[in-house]
Amino acid sequence: MVTTIKATAQNTPATTVKTTFHRQTSVSIDIHADTKVIWALLTNAQDYPRWNTTITAIEGEIKLGKKIKLKSTLDTKRTFKLKVKKFEPAKQLSWGDGKGIRVYTLTDKGNGVVNFSMIEKIGGLMFPMYAKYIPSFDASFNTFANDLKKEAEMIMKTK
Amino acid sequence: MTVEQLTIEFQQHRGQLQSFLLRITASIEDAEDIVQDTFIKAMNKLDTFRGESIIKTWFFTIASNLAKDNARAKKRWPENVTDICKGKAMTNQQFFEEAMTIRQTSPHGSFEIKEHITFCFACISKSLPLEQQICLFLKEVYEFGVKDIAEIIDNTEAMVKYYLHTGRSKMIKIFDGRCAIINKEGVCHQCTELNGIFNPHQKAQEELVKIDMHKEAEKGDKEHLFDLRMKIVQSIDPFNSPASALQLHHLQHNRQVMEDF
Repeated sequence: MVTTIKATAQNTPATTVKTTFHRQTSVSIDIHADTKVIWALLTNAQDYPRWNTTITAIEGEIKLGKKIKLKSTLDTKRTFKLKVKKFEPAKQLSWGDGKGIRVYTLTDKGNGVVNFSMIEKIGGLMFPMYAKYIPSFDASFNTFANDLKKEAEMIMKTK
Repeated sequence: MTVEQLTIEFQQHRGQLQSFLLRITASIEDAEDIVQDTFIKAMNKLDTFRGESIIKTWFFTIASNLAKDNARAKKRWPENVTDICKGKAMTNQQFFEEAMTIRQTSPHGSFEIKEHITFCFACISKSLPLEQQICLFLKEVYEFGVKDIAEIIDNTEAMVKYYLHTGRSKMIKIFDGRCAIINKEGVCHQCTELNGIFNPHQKAQEELVKIDMHKEAEKGDKEHLFDLRMKIVQSIDPFNSPASALQLHHLQHNRQVMEDF
């Protein structure tokens, strides 16, 4: 059963599920790289803009309980002030604010393959009032996942 | 292996260890101290050396471990360190007087643009996290393979690849934005400016055309330009080159500025 669930989560392009009070976007991709390398890329704040075309800057340290300031191509005028809420090395990382949370999960599938998944859930009681102003995350999520795959796999080719 | 054999082997690698440690710590004294400590530690642990790795790797493992505990090695410098230090030097008459004395009296006091490129790389590489800096020098300058570096820094080969890739990428980006030798829009001309001060009769442009990295710049292959920069760094022993006295003086000045920064 577990195998079946993992198999269905290999490479899933970004999809969004909407309800009245919430919106959830998720993406999943298999990466041929070492888990520690992918984790290092996800937790090195200053290095993000070098490889990730969806993030223009992250200030602060990505460590449990630390606050970070993130600038994204989704809204170039805005700085997202987020708190790192979960930091389980080489497994799971999450950050968020009062309106939403993003969770990164790494699953070692063996044979040098790691499944990376990213889920962001936003919402709350006031969500219906501002939902229409929030752009779709789908394209950005696909780009994020593909950038991570490209960079991690390129690192593994270093001689 | 006997102590005598160890001593002979150590002497063969001493120069490389010393230059590696100078580039990591930016301190002549600390580099020399760590070299001494490396030898003492190697002697004390001689019975643990099984010959499974080559002795050069073993020496660099001990030296790197000692460097990781060194405060000057751990201190990171900003990417624009050479701008900051230039500003300080311009208001420091003593610095220029000492440099001129070295220039006129030392057999290692000539100014060479290539040597300044090497000095400059050592300074800017200190903007990298220490693991990245150590990996980069071990691979690009001291020609260790990924497997040996993993043994030296006691980490996985995958993480060594990560450190090498990120360190190299960051250095390429910094030099592409700053170095006027490879980019006409580059903001830093210090090597040619200093050539004008210390070699007033030599035309900097005539010197630059002798440097492959400058000749190849127009092709715009940043990876290749970085490799050419590394060849220059590889070719220069910072303790025994014709310009070593002048460049070491310059390095000590920058380190002092960074300690007060």
